[in-house]
Amino acid sequence: MASAYNPIYTDVPEKDVFALHFLQTLSNLRTQNSFSSPDNKTSDRVKKIKKAAYVSMARAAGGANRLWSRSLLHQAAKRNNKNVRFLRRKRRVTWLMRRRSNRGDPIEDVAAERLRNLVPGGGGMETSKLMEETAHYIKCLSMQVKVMQCLVDGLSPK
Amino acid sequence: MDLSGRFGARSGDGVPFREAAALESLHIGGGEEFRQMVPPENAGGFTALLELPPTQAVELLHSSSSSASQATTLHSLGTLSFPSNPLLMERASRFSVIATDNQQNGNVSGETTTTSSVPSNEHIKTEPAETETCDQAAVEKQSNRCGKRKELDKKVKSSTKKKNKSSEENEKLPYVHVRARRGQATDSHSLAERARREKINARMKLLQELVPGCDKIQGTALVLDEIINHVQSLQRQVEMLSMRLASVNPRIDFNLDTILASENGSLMDGSFNGATMQLAWPLQVMETEQSYHHRQLQQPPSQQWPFDGLNQPVWGREENQDHGNDHNNLMVGSTSLHPNQVKMEL
Repeated sequence: MASAYNPIYTDVPEKDVFALHFLQTLSNLRTQNSFSSPDNKTSDRVKKIKKAAYVSMARAAGGANRLWSRSLLHQAAKRNNKNVRFLRRKRRVTWLMRRRSNRGDPIEDVAAERLRNLVPGGGGMETSKLMEETAHYIKCLSMQVKVMQCLVDGLSPK
Repeated sequence: MDLSGRFGARSGDGVPFREAAALESLHIGGGEEFRQMVPPENAGGFTALLELPPTQAVELLHSSSSSASQATTLHSLGTLSFPSNPLLMERASRFSVIATDNQQNGNVSGETTTTSSVPSNEHIKTEPAETETCDQAAVEKQSNRCGKRKELDKKVKSSTKKKNKSSEENEKLPYVHVRARRGQATDSHSLAERARREKINARMKLLQELVPGCDKIQGTALVLDEIINHVQSLQRQVEMLSMRLASVNPRIDFNLDTILASENGSLMDGSFNGATMQLAWPLQVMETEQSYHHRQLQQPPSQQWPFDGLNQPVWGREENQDHGNDHNNLMVGSTSLHPNQVKMEL
C-alpha cells in the first residue's frame, strides 16, 4: 500500500510515534501539581487528558503540515493563552480557500457541512480538500484510539 | 441566415448554380479550415468525420435541386457517417490508451476504466449528434462543425501537452488539463465543474476504502453519512478512553522518590503486579525486552534506574532521556513475571 502511487497524500506515521507523543504529553501533564493531587475533580482530569490526547495526536500526525492539526494546535494554544504562529507553506492556497465554491449538489453540501463541524479547521476548506483532511483525520484518530486502548488495557486491573 | 434563405429558395427556383455557388462557398470556406485543422490533429477520430462533409458537400453540389433529395442526401450523410463512429471510438480509445502509457502504473487501472466508459459515452452521444445534423439545415451543420472544432481544439491541446495525465493527477500541476469528451458541453464553467466533480469522486472512493463497510453502500449521501458516523464514533471512543485513563491513573503511585527509594519487594508487589500489561507493540521491541529481562534477572533490582541508560540502545529513541526522569516509563519489572510480558509503571 505504501508503495502504490497515490496523488492524494494521506500517509500516517506508525503507532509508536503516536504512543510516544501521547506519553510525553501525559508525563508533562503529570508533572503539574494540580493533576496528581487526590482532591482533584475527575471531570477536570478527564478534560485535560482528552486535550492532551488531541494535542499529541496533532503533533504526531505531522504538526503544522496538515490543516486540521494546525487548527487543533491553535485552539489548544489559545486556551492556554499562548501565542502560536505557524509558518505558511504555500501562499497560493489561500485564494482557493476563500473562493469556497459550494455550487455542488444539495446532498453533498449538507453532508459537507456536518463534516466541517466535525473535523477541526474545516470551515475554510473546499469540499475536495475537506475530504482529504477527513481521510487523514480518520487514520490518525484510529491510530490514537489504538494507542490509548493499549494503554488502558495495560493499566487496568486484571 | 442567407444561406438558409438560399436553400429554401432552391426548391422554388430549381436553379442548381446558385445553390452550387452557395454550397461551394460553404464547402471551400469550410474545407480549407478543416484541411488546416486536419494535419496537426493526430488524436481523435475527427479526421474520419471531417473528411466526410466536404465529400458530402461535393455530392450535394451534384445532386438534384429538390429539397426532398437534399433531405435524403443529408440523411444519407447521417447514415454514412455512422460507420465512422466505430473508427472514431477506436481512435479515441487508442489515444487515451497511448496517454496512459506515459503515466505511472497506479493510474493505469483508473484510466482504462475511463477509456472503457468513454467509448460508450461517445457512442451514445454521437448518435444524437448525428441525427441532429441530419435534421437541421446546413447552417446548423456549419455551427456544429465549429462546435466540434472547439472540442477538437481542446482535444488537440490536451494531447499536445507533455503531461497526459488524468484529471485526478492534475492537482499537483498549477493548471488542470481536462479532456473534453465528445458530445459534452465545452464552456469553461462546465469543464471546471466536471473536473471538480471528478476530484470529489476520487476522494470519496478513498474515504470509502478507509471506512469499513462503505463499499457496499451505493449513493454518495449514504456513504457520507457513514463517514460522518465513523468520525463521530472515533471521537467518542477517544473521550471514553480518556475517561478510563483518568480513572485508572490515581491508583498508581507516581512519585519518583518513592520508586527510587523503595526496595524491590514492597514496591514491586504493590504497583507492578497490578500494572502488568501485554502491549501490542512491534515484535522487535518485545524481543529486546526479553533480553533486557534476562539481564535484569542477574542484576540486583535496585539498579533499576541506571537500567534506563541501557534502555536507549534497545529502544533507539532519543526521547528516553526525558523518560529517565519521568514517571511513566516502559520498564521491565520484577523477576516473577513471565518473560514475554512488559511491565509498565506510571
